[in-house]
Amino acid sequence: MEGVKLIINKALSSHFQVTHTIHMSTVGQSSYHFNTTYMGDRQLSPTETFPMLVGDIDSCGSLNAQVLHLVAERIRTKAVFQTQQARFVTWQFDGELRGDDYTATLTLGNPDVLSQSVIVVAHFLQSVTSRLVLGGEMVYHRRPGEEGAIVTLAGKYTALKWVATLNIGYGGAHASYYHRANEQVQVGVELEANTRLQDTTFAFGYQLNLSQANMVFRGLLDSNWCVGGVLEKKLPPLPVTLALGAFLNHWKNRFHCGFSIIVG
Amino acid sequence: MAPGGQAGGSGSPGSPREGLRDWIRSACRFAADRSDFRRNLIVNLGLFAAGVWVARNLTDIDLMAPQPVA
Repeated sequence: MEGVKLIINKALSSHFQVTHTIHMSTVGQSSYHFNTTYMGDRQLSPTETFPMLVGDIDSCGSLNAQVLHLVAERIRTKAVFQTQQARFVTWQFDGELRGDDYTATLTLGNPDVLSQSVIVVAHFLQSVTSRLVLGGEMVYHRRPGEEGAIVTLAGKYTALKWVATLNIGYGGAHASYYHRANEQVQVGVELEANTRLQDTTFAFGYQLNLSQANMVFRGLLDSNWCVGGVLEKKLPPLPVTLALGAFLNHWKNRFHCGFSIIVG
Repeated sequence: MAPGGQAGGSGSPGSPREGLRDWIRSACRFAADRSDFRRNLIVNLGLFAAGVWVARNLTDIDLMAPQPVA
């Protein structure tokens, strides 16, 4: 978080919501974003409603758009488009099949018939027991004169208060541990090792949630000598949240801080 | 002409003393190894294990509990 940000959320109806974001930056370019979200009638859970259309456009004319649709009971599709001003930089199509104890996903990234290039990502996750999920991912990319594939194995173990994941592949490994100690304290730990870049990183983060004080605090510490924190405070009875953040990189001797006001 | 004879008292190739010496030699070689990736990986693995221990043992606290009166 850096600079000053003002976010105004407005629900125009139960289906349609708009967000205005003004960011006055101290390190980069300031910007304005207009975001709209449309949610259809079919609600599968508090966080999943279909169809869902999300669009975000900024003051430079760059667009970010997503369409999520439930084609059948177990088949979901997603389309993502990103433009940088007038040029398309990303066009991606996902299809997901959810079985009783498995999930299979196929993603096509930037398919281009004329230049014969594509990125294909295939996931498969199988629930082995009620707590253990094992699976894998294959990433295949093709360009004129070049093609390659990477396979990654993945595992996730879910317990009552914690979740651990492990991904191992040719390019490296990633491990994470999330622990929900109680309603107030949550902690996450992450390790990433990249054999191609010959680099490893460690990160430790925590969240303190004080609902009685309408306050949330998040802290972060990582092996790149970065320390940061964000404090969010709701200001009842106003529908306003104030957020203060600061990040310090000891290694590069850099510090930046900022605050945000979120309305709605 | 036979090559220099074996030094006396070295024991057989599979003796425990030679195994221990080899292990110490390889441990010293690793510690002095200038391959940063391996050392960083070991350090970050240790930090990850320490972070998991802290998460499991030191975070079950009630932030809104009243302060003890001195």
